[in-house]
Parts: sequence; C-alpha cells; structure tokens
Amino acid sequence: MRRLLSLLLSVGFLALFSSATSSDYHEQLLLRPLHPSLLLASFNFQSNTSLASFEQQNFRYFPRSLGQILQHANTRELHLRFSLGRWDAESWGARPWGGAREGGTGVELWAWVEAETDEEADGRWLTLTNALSGLFCASLNFIDSTRTTRPVMSFQPTGDHSNSTLSDLHLLHGTLPREVVCTENLTPFLKLLPCKGKAGISSLLDGHKLFDASWQSMSIDVRPICTPGSDDCQLQITQTIDMVLDIQRSKRPRDNPIPRPIPEEELKCDTSKPYHSGDTCFPLDAASQEEDWSLSQIFGHSLKGTCSLAQDGADPVCVNVPHARHVYASEGALEYKDASGYSRCFKIAPDKDFELVLPQQEISEKTPLEQPLLYAERSFIGYGQEHGGVQAILTNPSPTKAVDFVYMESLPWFMKLYLHTLRAKINGLDEDIIKEMYYRPALDRKRGTQLEVRIVIPANSTVVLTYDFEKAILRYTEYPPDANRGFDIAPAVITIGDVAIRTTSLLLPLPTPDFSMPYNVIILTSTVMALSFGFVFNLLVRRFVAVDEADQWDFRSVRVKLRRF
Amino acid sequence: MSSTPTTPPISEAKVEDGKIEKEEDAPAHAVSVTPKKKEPPPETPESIRLRLFVILSFWAIVLFLGLPIWWRTTAIYRAKLPLDQMMDWADGRACRPVFPLRISIEADSLQDHEAQHLLRTTQHALDDLNDFSAHHLRLQLSPPANASITVVGLPTGGSDEEVALVIRLLPGTESKADLQSYSPILDVHYTPNQIPSSSSSSSFLATYIANTLREMFAEEQAMISYLLSTSSAPPERSPKALIPEVAESLAKWTTRSIKYSRTYHLTFSLFTPSATPSSWDIEAALEEHMKPLLQSFSSISNFTIDTQVQLYANPGVNGNVLKKEDLSGFINAAEWPLSPSIGGAPTVNFIIYVGDMEVEGGGKSWLIPQWGGVVIQSDISDLRPAMLIFSNQLMSLLGAPESGSLPLRLMTLVRVRSAGLLLKASGTMGSLARLTLALPSISIPKSVADGVYTTIEHLRKACDGLGGTEGLENAIIAEEAAEKAFFEKSMVGQVYFPDEHKIAVYLPLLGPVAVPLVMGVLKEVKAWRKRRRVSR
Repeated sequence: MRRLLSLLLSVGFLALFSSATSSDYHEQLLLRPLHPSLLLASFNFQSNTSLASFEQQNFRYFPRSLGQILQHANTRELHLRFSLGRWDAESWGARPWGGAREGGTGVELWAWVEAETDEEADGRWLTLTNALSGLFCASLNFIDSTRTTRPVMSFQPTGDHSNSTLSDLHLLHGTLPREVVCTENLTPFLKLLPCKGKAGISSLLDGHKLFDASWQSMSIDVRPICTPGSDDCQLQITQTIDMVLDIQRSKRPRDNPIPRPIPEEELKCDTSKPYHSGDTCFPLDAASQEEDWSLSQIFGHSLKGTCSLAQDGADPVCVNVPHARHVYASEGALEYKDASGYSRCFKIAPDKDFELVLPQQEISEKTPLEQPLLYAERSFIGYGQEHGGVQAILTNPSPTKAVDFVYMESLPWFMKLYLHTLRAKINGLDEDIIKEMYYRPALDRKRGTQLEVRIVIPANSTVVLTYDFEKAILRYTEYPPDANRGFDIAPAVITIGDVAIRTTSLLLPLPTPDFSMPYNVIILTSTVMALSFGFVFNLLVRRFVAVDEADQWDFRSVRVKLRRF
Repeated sequence: MSSTPTTPPISEAKVEDGKIEKEEDAPAHAVSVTPKKKEPPPETPESIRLRLFVILSFWAIVLFLGLPIWWRTTAIYRAKLPLDQMMDWADGRACRPVFPLRISIEADSLQDHEAQHLLRTTQHALDDLNDFSAHHLRLQLSPPANASITVVGLPTGGSDEEVALVIRLLPGTESKADLQSYSPILDVHYTPNQIPSSSSSSSFLATYIANTLREMFAEEQAMISYLLSTSSAPPERSPKALIPEVAESLAKWTTRSIKYSRTYHLTFSLFTPSATPSSWDIEAALEEHMKPLLQSFSSISNFTIDTQVQLYANPGVNGNVLKKEDLSGFINAAEWPLSPSIGGAPTVNFIIYVGDMEVEGGGKSWLIPQWGGVVIQSDISDLRPAMLIFSNQLMSLLGAPESGSLPLRLMTLVRVRSAGLLLKASGTMGSLARLTLALPSISIPKSVADGVYTTIEHLRKACDGLGGTEGLENAIIAEEAAEKAFFEKSMVGQVYFPDEHKIAVYLPLLGPVAVPLVMGVLKEVKAWRKRRRVSR
C-alpha cells in the first residue's frame, strides 16, 4: 500500500517539491480507472516565479490578476477550492493528492494574511474575498464574519515563511457550502494558466465534461518556497483539477445524449441459460471486462500537443493501469513503463494531437486501490424543529496503526451547539479519546461556532462523535429566498498530518415563517385598532334613542331620488 | 330623507338606557316630522356641547399629536444644502476662472529704464493681441539678485508668485527665440539696434516677444477656452467661438484623455498568438525609457506599473491588414486578461502584440481613447521604439498639449487639469442641487452636506489659486469630495421606495379610523345647520 502511495505521489506531488527551485512551468495529467466503469483524471499545473519579480509586478507565468489581488490584500499564502460531489472512499480508495488539493462541497478558502492586528487582518480578508469573488465569478464576497473562522489546530502553512513574517501572519478560513460550482468558475481558472486551454493537457478541460463528473475538485494554491539557507525565494502557484468521470456516460455523443438500449446484434448473451432463445437474453456479466475508452471519447476531443513552456522533462500524460492492459497511443508519442508494474507515462510530440485508446479487455489483474487513512461520515440525528444532533462516524481501517487527527467543525451561529452533549464513543464504549479541544462559541449574527477536537483512534476501531444543538429562530429578513430548502452546513475538516479529509455538507431545515406574515399582522392589528377606536368613538359621539324614534332607511325614497337623476 | 317618510316606523320595542329616555325632544326635529313617527326627546344644549367637545378633542389629538408624530417618525432626513451656492458654482457665477501667468524677463544686459520700457511696451503689445480675458500673460522684471538663478523643472507651490516662464534677453547678432528643452526658459536674442528708445511707444523687439509668447500659449488658451465653452458658464464669460478645426481637435482631445487621478496604474502586456516569445526584457526598457518621463510627472500624478506576458492570445479580428474599423475590435476583451488593476487608480493599458500585421494605410500602432495604446511588433528584442510610442501615447492619454517643451507641456497640463477639475466639481455640485430639488423623497445624509461644504471651500481656494500646483491640489480635493457626495450610497436606496407600498401599510389603519372621525364631523355640521335653520 505504501509503495503505491509513493508511486502515486512521485508522479506528481513529490515531483513538485523537487523541481521547486527553478523558475519553470510544469503540467501533468494522471488517469486512473476506478471501479466500476469510472475514471479519475487529475490535472496538475504548477509554475514558479521569483519573489522579487512578483513584488515588482513583472508577471510571466504567474497570473497578473491573481498576483495583484494577493499584493493588495497582503496575502502570503492562499488556498482556494471549488468542489462538487462526494468522494466514495469505500469503492474508490484514498483521495487524489491525499486530500491536500481538495475542499468541501461548494467553495472553501483559507489564507495567511500578513497584518499587525486582528482588525487589520479582517479588513484584508474582506478585500481578498471580494476581489477573488470578482475574479472567479463566485459568491466569495458572502464569506463574512459569520462564515470566517481562525483555525488553531487544523491548518498549517505549507510555504516557507521567515520567522519575522510568521509572527504577523493570520490564518483565516471561510466556506460557502451552498455555492454551486459551474462553468463560469472554470473559465477564469483556465485563464490563469499560461497555455490557457489552447495547448497541452489543459486543452482537454471542458465545462460540459467537468461539471458532468460524479465528483470534481478545482484548487489553487499559492505559497512561497525558499531554498534553505539563502534568500532566494520563489512564489509557487499550483492549480489542480481532479474529476471522477463515468466512462459510459462520457461516451455518449454530445448531440445525442439520451441513453439507448444496445442493438440486438451487439448484445452479449449467456447462452448457457435454459431460456436463452432468439427473443430472450440474459446479459453476460461484463464486470470482468475492462471498459474500453479513449481520450477523445472521454473528453470530447484529443489532446492538442504540448504546452511548450513545460520544459522540465516530466511526461505530460500518465495512466495507472497494469502493464498487461493494452494501451495504444497516437504516433510520435513515447511510452515509459514504470517499474512498479501499474503505471506508464507518455511523452508527446509537441505539435501533434495526442490520442490514447484502451480497448475492451478481459484482465484479471487490477491496479490495487490504496486504502484511505480514515473513513468519515457525518449526518444529522434527532427530530423536530427545535433541537437536533450531529453524528460523525470515523473509522480507522488500518489493522495496525492508530490515527491521530483533528476534527474541525465550523457551524453557523443559528445552529447553537451544546458542548456538554459532545460524546465520543469508541466501538460502542465511552472512553476518553479526546486529547485536546478548542472551542469558540458563536455570537448571534457576528460569528459562528468553531470546534476543533484532537482524537486518537486506535487501530481497527470506529469512533462515533455526537453532539446536540438547538436551532435558532431567524429574523424575517435573514432567510434566503428559498428558505424552505434548508441551510447548508459546511463540511467538517479532518486533518491527519498532510492529509485532509472532508465530510459531505449537511442540509439543516430551520423553522420557516409564512413570509406574507408581516402584512397580515399589519392588517390584523389595524383592524383591531380601528374596531376598538370606532367603538369608543361612537359610544362617545352617538346619541342613543329608542328604535321607533330613530331615523329609518327608506329604500323607496332612495329609489325616487335615484330616478330623479 | 326624513322629510318624506311614508312607511311607519318598525314598532319593535327596545329597552333603552335610562339616560336616553330622560332626554327631551329636540326642537330641531319638530319641524320635519310626520305625525306617524315618534320623535326622540330633544337634546339638551349640554349634551350637544359635550358631543362637540368630544369630536373636537379627537380631532385635536389627531391633528396636533398624531400628525406631528407620524410626520416626525416617517420623515426622511434631509440635511440642509447650500443650494444657491451650489447653483452659483454650477452656473459659473461663483468663480471667474482666471489664469494669470507670470512671465519673468531677465535682461541683465539692458539698462534698468530700458528694461522697464521694454516690459511696458511688450505688455501693451500682449494685451492688444489677447482677446481672452481668462488667460492672461503678465510680464515682470526679475530682480537682478535672482538673475543668475535659473528655474529648473516645475515651480513649486511654496512661493506666492509662481513664474511660468523666464525670458532671457541675450544680445546677439540676429533676432531669434530658443525654447530650452528641459527647463521653462526662453532665450531671446536681439541685435543692439533693436533696444527700444524710451520715446517710441512700440518697438520691433516688444512685438516680437509678444508674438512669440502668444504662439507658445495659443494651444493652452484654446484648450482652456474650449473647456469653458463646454461648461455652463455664462455666455459673456466664454470666449469668442473657436475655429471649427481647432474645436474638433479639442473635442478629440477631451474624448481621448483619461479622467484625472492622483495615481495611475500602467499595465504593459505582451500578447503573442503562439507559445513564443515567452519572455521580454521589459524591466530594463521601462527603467530606461519610461521611468524618467514618469518621474517628471511626479508633481501631477504618481504611477504604478505592472507587466505581464500572455501566450496563445488571438486578437478579436483576423487578417494581415487591419482596417480602421477593425482596430476597435482588435482587443479581445473576452479572452485577454486586461482587467483593471485592483485599487482605486485608473488603469492605462499598453499592449505589444507579436505579429506582422499592419494597419491599413501604414502604421503599426494606435491609441485607444481613455484606455491605452497598442503596438504591433514582430521582433521584441528591441523595445525602444515601442516604449517611445507608449511615452507619446501616455502624454496624450493624460491630456498634455502637443507642442512645446516638456516642462511647459507639464505646466500647461497642470493649468488645464485644474480648470477641468474645477468645472467638473462645479458641474457635480449643480447636478446634486438639481437632484435634491427633483427628488424630494430621497434622504440626504449629513455626510453629503459635509462633502458639499468641503467641495465649496476647496473650490473657492482652487479658484483663487488657479494656475499653480496648489490650485490643482485644491481642485483635486474638491472634485473627490463632490464625487463622493454625489455618489453617496444611502441616497440611492430611498429613491425606489414606492408610494404604493406606503399606502398599503397605512391604509388598513388610517382608513377605518378616519371614517368615523370624518362622519362625526359631517353629522355634527349637518345638525348644526338644521338647528340654525330652525332657530331663524
């Protein structure tokens, strides 16, 4: 398992660290078939620029628009994530990049901002979110103080910061679980790349395919890296896109996307069945067959040459399949097989289109799945409109190793957490496994709850973390337009060293009022007030006489009067 | 109604209050009764008066307590604005823009009385030539002690008398005028026989100097008079109509130049349609060709610079020869990352596009008004020609005049910019005043009033100090304050609060309450008139 992890990372992730010192550009696509009939495509783009030219605002590989924002907001390190869908760890194994390039559903942003005071940091954070919101066409400007936390145990800077700046750095973290990531976020993302989706692996990226994926994540990381012992510092920007594509679904032609039954002559029937005849067919089990696919089928078109800026010698396309699997590449491409037996990479001719075809093949050997360090599930428990509870199930699948991790929740203020109800049960037993806890209670309409818990799970154990909360009643104007949909609760972040895992987001239903209520209240109170006023007024002003003394309404005289007109 | 009762009253007996039964027959009812109807007993004058008091007190509460409370609680805060003053500024009544340009004459080689005489005659000749009172050239003799001091660069705002130009009279063999390129000094050479005699009222030298000066400042004069003529100044102030060609070129000048700002951001971008070239030696080129120019602008505006390289960038139009109408579409705004820089400073874009296209009719560069400039160049190893084009484009984008030496152009720019800002701020004041009058339902927060007072104060200072950097400084402050006051956020929201909404909220209460109140008054009036008719 470890060997596989190192293999996976050595292709891209670790290569980034080794090649970090030169001013360069690097890109790589890693394709990994997942079971059943899915394909994980990991795009990685990375460029370095010297910190000196960044400060002089001479931008070459580093995007100018982002660079200006970072300088304007005094941001020293930035991490931005756009994600959609759920990573199915049970059948897909460990996350790509160990979860380091992935965010919770919606948009997640955390950054180290240089400022002398907390207020100054908040101001710069506001500038940053507003500017990024404009750059990426996302509602990042809605990350206000109620959605911002300052994590204490969960996040650590990944860049090299000098000790003097480190003391002035403020970590701020914000999430927007409600944000729907879509094509308008991909377009600015591609514009940040030097080759802009015109050449190289980025030419495969297409909004139709990306947002049709079962799971996808886009990330941008900016961090300074310095060679130890010298002042030679560089600023590194890493952009990744990971997506899990359904091969069957992607192969549907775009102009005719409705799935249709397989024609009769192409059906593969199990002829050993007694009822098999000309009009009955029991389909053969196709699970042993590897799905056939090609780049142009999956992404809509083939790869358009290489991005000529990437000159670090890394192979731009890698596929993680056993060596026994047939892989056909287009002419001019060179194939390099990895010694591990499960990976091969391709060197591409610069100006030619590159195509990769994997035919259908019966093969018993499968690329082993890497086991994740932890399985995490989170859901609501409880009932009613007033109270509720959250339950997180965390399983350590390793038979030998204990896992030490930090579980972080940032809850909105209207979800009032009762900390005394926080329980951690291990394998059904109450045991003291919470090593450390950081809790920052919510302030109504000002900030949300922040809860960080450090837990150690022994090998092969399951921890169930539960707590109760109360639902606050919001003011009339605080409800969103579709209030009955519920409120999205940001995913919990589980940090295990460098690896980060996020649970899915939750949908919290709050008691919603009838929104025509204020006008009804106005009408009702007005009516009551007018009635009582009229009653008192008439009592004081009217003269009371006997019935036979009162003036009578004479309908006939009215009729006579009307006729006169 | 009661005059024609024909049906008998319903004879259902009802137990009434003992109080009512005690009441006597009112004399008012006695006249119009039919014998069939039973009359209520007449009312006592006390009860009539009591009822009157009740109605009156209700109305008094409504009018003197209810209405003021309602008025006070729903009134929109409108700070008092000096509307008259604002309109005065907008109409040009408050300020008469005058640009007194002090021109110093250094005449060390002349006798004092000769120099005095030359000064008088030249001034006279100048006044005769000048038909535009707002722009006035005033000559003075520089004191001999200062004679050796040459003024370099822009005059600073410290001295109360800023000298726009120094004329050095030098004896020579032929008469000619030389404008120094890097300092505001005009060398006038004269032959000895041209020294005017004290008896003559005019001389060749005086006319010569006057004509030279007039030529030098003609463009500036045209600019200022154009600015004044496009503003809403009273007609007697604006100069005589400009020649159509001049007016046209000045109209182009105003559409071309970028709105004034203290800081501009310059973005130099290299766009290439393929993957090469991916780098350029922009740092050195900027250092050598751009920075000195920007340095000389430092008293007017500051500049920040960034550069970028963009590969695989295709222009918005294709073809090797660009037609004139293609030029506007050349910048591919959808794909080229040319977003304005973050922060308040306006961005000026300078683009080098790597290619061998040509504009129809020759030329490989053009200027985009209020936006920047484009140069098409196939070889980027030498950036000097492009930088020189960009320098020129920057000067015209900033609104500098086209002729004259650099220091004079910059000083002209100061004066033209102060006049422009002054007029703009005055215009904004007028718009704000008109807006306030036109929309009585918008609120005017105190910050707007403060902004207006700041603007007027600085407009006054700017008007007094027009022509120098101090005037410019005040005009900038005035313009910023005026814009801030005009675009106050809280003023916008109130405009769209509809009256229907208010009625929908008030009517359910006010309608049912008002009906008995009004009916009570009507009934009482009716009864009173009936009583009067009876008593008569």
